Amino acid sequence: MTEPSFEEAQAELERIVERLERGEVELEELTRLWERGEELYRRCAEQLSLAQGKVEELARRLSREPGGTEPQAP
Amino acid sequence: VKVASTEVDGRKVFTVRAFNQGIASWLERLPTVWVEGEVTELRRQEQWAAVYFTLKDPESGACLAVQMKRGLFDGLRLGLENGERVHVYGRPVLYEQRGDFHLRALTIERYGLGAHLAALERLKQKLAAEGLFAAERKRPLPRIPRLIGLVTGNDAAAKRDVLTAITSRFPPANVVVAETLVQGPKAAPAMAAAISELATRGADVVVVARGGGSFDDLLAFSDERLVRAVAACPVPVVSAVGHEQDTPLLDLVADVRASTPTAAGRLVVPDLAELQARLDRVRSGLERGARRVLERHEARLAASHERLRRAPRLALERREARLTTAHGRLLALSPRATLERGYAIVRSGDALVREPPPAGTELAVEVAGGRFGARSE
Repeated sequence: MTEPSFEEAQAELERIVERLERGEVELEELTRLWERGEELYRRCAEQLSLAQGKVEELARRLSREPGGTEPQAP
Repeated sequence: VKVASTEVDGRKVFTVRAFNQGIASWLERLPTVWVEGEVTELRRQEQWAAVYFTLKDPESGACLAVQMKRGLFDGLRLGLENGERVHVYGRPVLYEQRGDFHLRALTIERYGLGAHLAALERLKQKLAAEGLFAAERKRPLPRIPRLIGLVTGNDAAAKRDVLTAITSRFPPANVVVAETLVQGPKAAPAMAAAISELATRGADVVVVARGGGSFDDLLAFSDERLVRAVAACPVPVVSAVGHEQDTPLLDLVADVRASTPTAAGRLVVPDLAELQARLDRVRSGLERGARRVLERHEARLAASHERLRRAPRLALERREARLTTAHGRLLALSPRATLERGYAIVRSGDALVREPPPAGTELAVEVAGGRFGARSE
């Protein structure tokens, strides 16, 4: 099974939360679902912080170039 | 001048030759004069020693043959066409051998602007009818030209104005300058050749600039050859001829018309600083957008996580509450609560005692606090 994308993981996490909040969960399933939810949260948070790191790095790199990018004649 | 004659039957008779000689020598004494008329039947050939035309009085139709030495005629650089009004300065001459009379022209001047304007107007009508000035022929200028061609005279002002305007707005611009004649009969073919040459060399826009001049100075910019070269040019052409009243035809055929060489320079290149600022704005917009997307995801994820943390406890608490309720109801159904209120359960052996038993029956009594034995009386 391939690693779910950020959007897939987030959607699954939200479905789990809703099920738990409605309380329509077998007792045996409760802890399993919670653990699954935490796992999904961890994955999403990791991917998000990775993306944040890239954005910050890019912003730093661009701001170091004085006057922005040099327009080139095509 | 004495012209020999003979006496024949009492008449004085001249030979043709003698007669022509006499007339010719008499004509030679006439002063040199200016004659006004319209040029017709103009004939000029390289191998001829003279140029011939007929000067015609447009009102009366009277005609006068005119000859002019070809070198003299070409030196005037008038580019005369049939139908033009001229003043011809010359003297009457008789060609003795043929008895032909003509005016030998020493110089020719165009007579008045009117004729010029009419000629120009006819050309304009003709080219307009061909669609050379049509709006749908106009091509847009390249946003950032790779190579700008500049056709200009070696008069410094126009060239400098265009170049200054270009480089102050867009320093990295590439310009190739073709210096040509911009005045006189050779100017139009020279400019026409320069335009196609520049296009061949890869210019993607061509500016034709001249910093103003008199009506005569600017005639070349209405020349049919130049107009056709601009129309045929594969890349857009900007005209930048400073003029006060009469629009040169170049302005009509050009894809874009600038009022001055400086204006032309500003038109052909974008403002680098402005371009830069726009790029920077777009870039910071990009950065803001990226951050906003991240923040939104982060908030959504945090909310989900918060709910995830609370949900199992809530589920458990709800279950616990349900259990407690069930237990309460269960308790309510058991006899214990009845015993607590002071009732007792009386058994005889295993059987519940519901009727008074015979005296001396061994009984077992259960109360809230415990059990004890008893005997009936």
